[in-house]
Formats: sequence, C-alpha cells, structure tokens
Amino acid sequence: MTTEQEFAIIDQVLAGNSHAYAILVNHYKNYAFTLALKVLNNRAEAEEAAQDAFVKAYHHLKSFNRQSRFSTWLYRIVFNTSVSCKRKRKLPYQPIEKNHTGIKAEAETDLEKKDKKKFINEAMLTLNEADRLALSLFYLKEHTLEEIAEITGMQANTVKVRIHRARQRLADELTRRLKKEALTL
Amino acid sequence: MGKHVKPTDEELLNYLDGTVNPDEAAAINHALVTDQEVAQRMEELRSVHHYFLTLTKEEPSNNFTQRVMENLHYTTSHAYSPRNGLMLLIGVMLAVGIAVALLAGGIFDEKATLDLNQLVVVNKYLDWELPAIPFNGKLIVNLIIIANIALAFIVLDRTVLKPWFARRRNMHVM
Repeated sequence: MTTEQEFAIIDQVLAGNSHAYAILVNHYKNYAFTLALKVLNNRAEAEEAAQDAFVKAYHHLKSFNRQSRFSTWLYRIVFNTSVSCKRKRKLPYQPIEKNHTGIKAEAETDLEKKDKKKFINEAMLTLNEADRLALSLFYLKEHTLEEIAEITGMQANTVKVRIHRARQRLADELTRRLKKEALTL
Repeated sequence: MGKHVKPTDEELLNYLDGTVNPDEAAAINHALVTDQEVAQRMEELRSVHHYFLTLTKEEPSNNFTQRVMENLHYTTSHAYSPRNGLMLLIGVMLAVGIAVALLAGGIFDEKATLDLNQLVVVNKYLDWELPAIPFNGKLIVNLIIIANIALAFIVLDRTVLKPWFARRRNMHVM
C-alpha cells in the first residue's frame, strides 16, 4: 500500500466512512500483533493490546499529522499500549544481568535438545521489552533505525546501541548454555 | 580498523549487517582466517543473526479485524478506573443511605419557606420586598436520592459491568 493510498483511506475514515478503516487494520494487523507479542510475550494479551491500539488510533486519527508514515505512528501507539498493558500486569522490569537464574529452572529440561534456536528464544525472554522490540523491528526490515527510534521513543543511536548490545548478550548467553550443555553430556 | 587489531563485537555485527566498508570487511575476513578466537566469536554472533533472519510476522486470530471494527464505536470511560468507579459507587450509595435514613427520621417532613428578604445583600440594595418561596424539603431530598441512584447505575455500568462483559467476550472469542 502506498502512502497516497493510505492517506486516501484515512481521508475516507475522517469523512465518516469508518468501514474504510478495516483496510488499514487488515494491512497492519500482523505487524502490530507481532510488535505487541514481542513486548508482552503472551498471544491473548498481545491480541487485546493490538486491538486496543487500533481503536485508539481510530479515535485519534485526526491528530496524525502525516509527517511520518502511518505505520510508524500506529506502531508507536501499539508499543505504548503494550507497555502500559505490561505495567498493569505488574511484571517487574528485569534486565538481562539479573535474570539468568530466573530461567534456569525452565532451561534445564531443554539443555539436552542441542537446539541453538531454542536457547536463543529463551534468552530473548531475558531481554527487556525495549531491546527485544528494537531487535525484532530491526530484523523485520520494514523500518529504518530512525523509524524504530520513533516507534520506541528512543534516539536512533540508542536503538543501534541496544540492537548491538542485545545481540552480544544473546550470543554470550548462547555460548554459556552450549558450554553448560557440553558439560552435562 | 588496523589489519592486526582484533575486531570488536560491534565491528563483527556491522560486518554481519553489511554496513562495513570494503577495507573493514577485508580486515575482518583476514582476522577470521588468522584468529581462532575471532572466528569463534563471529560464529556465536552469526547464530544469533541467523535466528533473527528467520523471524517472521505473527498472525493474530482470524476475526481480529472484525473485533476491532466492532469496538470502534464502543467508548470506554477513561474518567473512571474500575477502582475509582467502585469508590465513587460506594460514596454515592453511602449518600443515598444517609439521605434515606434522614427521610425516615422525619427530618424533612416539615414544609419550609425561603424568605429572600432576610438576606443582607437584598436589604442593602433593593427597596422592594421579594416573595417568600415555599419549598418541600422532602421532595427535594427524594429527587436527590433518585438522581444519585441513577448515577450509581451509570457508574456501575461503565466501571464494572461493561469492562467485565468485554473481558468475558474477549475470552470466549479467543
């Protein structure tokens, strides 16, 4: 969908044709849901957060100033909604350094599977939501670093540093787990 | 980056992202061949990089769009959180209870008259006499009680019932 097509749909919605909004929802739902899922790590909650975000975006469509892409504006709402949803759950923010012990118990049973992907998947949970999200957005390759920065409310340089640092940590975690697995064999 | 300097993690990641210039790429290629430690680190970072390259968008439930469209015109009350709503509800019910108790005690049974001429301001600035307004205290309190009960129903609906049914509906659909 081109920016012009998007703006034409937005104009229709603003003119009172709310059914036209379904086109935007259909087009962006997967990405919005993925984004919410990366923050919340729970499909049901992510779905609810993504839906809430679409409804919020609809009600604030007038305030979209068209200086950035609609998707960037929308994903910023999805991100904020997901983060606030996570806060309501009262899950403490856990930086990776303090969280190794938290996943050990779950990881023990998986150590025998020799699956790097699984290890990384688990290690991903030890990252905070901003790092996890920045990484995911970066690899989904739909947004530039500047746009990712806009979505997450960070500076572009910060996003880059976070992406680098998160990958380093995941690599370290992967190595640690593989070494541990080798010792248990 | 010098030819014999060990590349940093950042440089290796830039290499994987394809954002290094040809000289830097050549230096890293050289380090990968000559330095086992660098090659090993690159392998670790490459594993993570490949993991993310396979990352795809997740799909929500089939009726996602339909549910968004259904909720577009459902406006939730942002003024009251469920907790604030409950507090307000308790306050309103308490006020109704007190009013009913006072009514039952017969405090508002006597008819009163509001004599505007007793007001200092009126005596000071007006030369003519104002009429005395009779009012039925019992009727007024009854109206206040009815208004409070109506308010209590609205608060109950917006802060307790609607969110509860919405949550229940979401649970069933998913």
